[in-house]
Amino acid sequence: MQKRRFVVLCLTLLLVVASSVIALAADPGFVDGRFTTTRKITVEIYDRSNPGGSTPEDNFWTDFIKKGMLEKYNVEVTFKPVPRWTEVEVINNLLAAGDAPDICVTYSFPTIQTYANMGGVTDLAPYLEEYKELLPNLWDLLGDQNIYWNRDPETGTIWAIEALLFQNKRINTFVREDWLQKLGLEEPRTMEEFENMLRAFRDNAELLLGEDADKMVPFSISFDVGWRGDHVISAFVPNDMSDRDMWVYGFDDRHLLWPNYKEGVRKLNQWYNEGLVWKDFPLYGAGDRTEDNMIKAGYVGSFIHNWDYPYRDGQEGIHANLKNLVGEDAAFIAVECFPNDAGIYRKYLSAPVDRKVFFPATNKEPLASLLYLDFISDLETRRFLQIGEEGVHHEVLPDGAVQSLPVVGEKIMNSPQNIDYTITINGLDLGDPVLTARSVALNYAGVEARFIERAYEITSNEARYGINVQVGEIKAQEGMDTALAEKRNNLLAQAIVAKPEEFDAVWDRGFNDYLRSGGQAIIDERAQKYDAMYGN
Amino acid sequence: MKPTFFLKRRSTINYLRKYWSLYLMLSIPIAYFIVFRYIPMTYIQIAFKRYSIVQSPWEMPWAGNNGFEYFIKAFQNLDFLYALKNTLLLNFLDLLIGFPAPIILALLLNELAFPRFKRFTQSVAYMPHFLSWIIIAGLAKQLLAPTTGLINVALNRLGLGPIPFLNDPTHWVFTYVFLGIWRNVGWNTIIYLAALTNINPELYEASAIDGANRWQNIWYITLPGLRPTIFTLLILSLGNILSSEFDRPFALSNPLVNSVSNVISIFVYRYGIRGLQFSLTTAVGLFQSVVCVIFLVAANALAKKFGERGIW
Repeated sequence: MQKRRFVVLCLTLLLVVASSVIALAADPGFVDGRFTTTRKITVEIYDRSNPGGSTPEDNFWTDFIKKGMLEKYNVEVTFKPVPRWTEVEVINNLLAAGDAPDICVTYSFPTIQTYANMGGVTDLAPYLEEYKELLPNLWDLLGDQNIYWNRDPETGTIWAIEALLFQNKRINTFVREDWLQKLGLEEPRTMEEFENMLRAFRDNAELLLGEDADKMVPFSISFDVGWRGDHVISAFVPNDMSDRDMWVYGFDDRHLLWPNYKEGVRKLNQWYNEGLVWKDFPLYGAGDRTEDNMIKAGYVGSFIHNWDYPYRDGQEGIHANLKNLVGEDAAFIAVECFPNDAGIYRKYLSAPVDRKVFFPATNKEPLASLLYLDFISDLETRRFLQIGEEGVHHEVLPDGAVQSLPVVGEKIMNSPQNIDYTITINGLDLGDPVLTARSVALNYAGVEARFIERAYEITSNEARYGINVQVGEIKAQEGMDTALAEKRNNLLAQAIVAKPEEFDAVWDRGFNDYLRSGGQAIIDERAQKYDAMYGN
Repeated sequence: MKPTFFLKRRSTINYLRKYWSLYLMLSIPIAYFIVFRYIPMTYIQIAFKRYSIVQSPWEMPWAGNNGFEYFIKAFQNLDFLYALKNTLLLNFLDLLIGFPAPIILALLLNELAFPRFKRFTQSVAYMPHFLSWIIIAGLAKQLLAPTTGLINVALNRLGLGPIPFLNDPTHWVFTYVFLGIWRNVGWNTIIYLAALTNINPELYEASAIDGANRWQNIWYITLPGLRPTIFTLLILSLGNILSSEFDRPFALSNPLVNSVSNVISIFVYRYGIRGLQFSLTTAVGLFQSVVCVIFLVAANALAKKFGERGIW
């Protein structure tokens, strides 16, 4: 009896000593580039619920990643699906429940900052420093710039690292090429020509749509006016806006506060009242497919959206649907028609940062999680995730360029180039810039290369890029982003549908409400901190 | 002392031995209320504390201003004030128009001569109650959208021009109230129809002998018979004057009508669940509950003063 008690005591002591050693050393379970015992991590994955898509957390691609991580590092990966269009709410709840994935991804840094202020986020700075040697691929891909992008100038904390926006592409203006031809119109190159084109679409609805003439929508936007009207509105922003103004007034991701924004919205208001804009746009919320279906059915003459929007999704996408439902020559082409006050086709693009990757405080495996990011950033891994298997997802042309093939079923990609799995990069990267550029154009199965080449070129033509300004946390912004974004959407929608003579009143009322509801406090704090850091 | 104590105890034991099965059954709902209603109430303290996702509510630090920081913040928040106003407006209209509707329908059903037709009408009137607001909002868009909605398409063809059911704030309020009635009126008649069966038929026979007509029957017999039920339901509705549904305004809302559709529950969703300001929104929720309780108590006291039974 005594003996057994002694053995138990010894074993307990041993366990206590062993666990305290583990707590002290970096991670002794990691020997020669591999964990000695299997570690488990969970990773967030967007669920887009695409028509014809596969289960995002369990499919061909997740199997590939799981197998790779297990073989290389002895880490077992589980994916946790999060609905793409309500990701912030879902992550909030998961964090509050202590149930968030070990590796989380979101587009909003202020959201992460809010989590961090509550002690919900792991500070990556010490781990990045300690394990830098083990993460060569991550550093190769992101570089110091993106990894240290969010380093707080005072405290040195890094709450999130920034994925690389490899092809800094944002949006394009698309018009129906076949309609231009039918009406004998040139591609518009100015605001006025674009406007006249819209009027021509409207006035020739019978010719263009026949029986469905009453369904004609010359220019289509959604409730997210700031995104879907961006090129028109940006043309009114003065070309000589200073970096300071761009940043201080730039916290709204649709740039509502930039100078002269109102005049751009006034233009949309004018079009709306002329019957050029989709009448019912405010009624349909995020994720609603009504507008997409109208575009696919061929009722829409032009719209502004993600730079490759009509060419996405292969057989399920707009391009293929137009060909099937309307005719062989029906297609959208990207055009450039909104010069600003300096005559420049200015596109306001972000800095080369994309999603923000962070580890919740509940993450017990910082090393395994960082190794996951390194694994995902490895050129071989991401190449496979982006282009898939030869003969299934793509074929290699004689010049080495990669041409994608339409895929259905188990091996389908739920997002273009599996962007949801390659969380450290957005945009195709084959390792060779020339090859990459050529391949991007070929990467849209069933779409002629000329459409993609055009869209690819003009989306970032004459662009102005965002700069990295780190002045520490903006307190007034905490928890306000979603409420203010909602206000912005409401203001813009209401201003556009207002009668022209009421536009100013509607705008001023909504805009003042925006400022009084927290907007002004954020502007003031940003201005003050910017000036303190960089001088006025 | 001792003997009585023992006696009491013994009788309690005997009592429990006799009725234990009833108490066992009762324990299930009581456990439900403790687990799902009372234990969560401990989280009300979040309203007085600085919320943190990683701490338990007991560990969170107290908020400023003696813990009332977030109440003050809420009343300084414009969105909350709009939401408060809208909640009161929509609930008041719901009460004003929606409350009498099932009474009228119940009276109408009661007057129907053919039992089969009555039963059929009743069933049809119940049905919308089982549709979720998301589906009703989808139907509303299909029917009422300004250019593609069926009703407006018809109006356009007739040359009458579209009615902005969903995209003009004033019209939207009426659409909102109307859809609420459409969905719930049938369901809410059940309780009145049940109350109607309790009215002594001899009263109608007597009135028939006295030569009363139908209106007089309704006015002097049916309605007074329904009075206790009406008052009970009215008191309960007044207790809900500041409570707000989420799915109904959220699903029916759009950016053009947010000036009337943003109610407290949407404020809570936007600032709390999306914006992660749980302390602020818990404070709002607590305020809402306190006002509701005050209304309930006041309405009950008032009813008692007017000689009604009240609800407790």
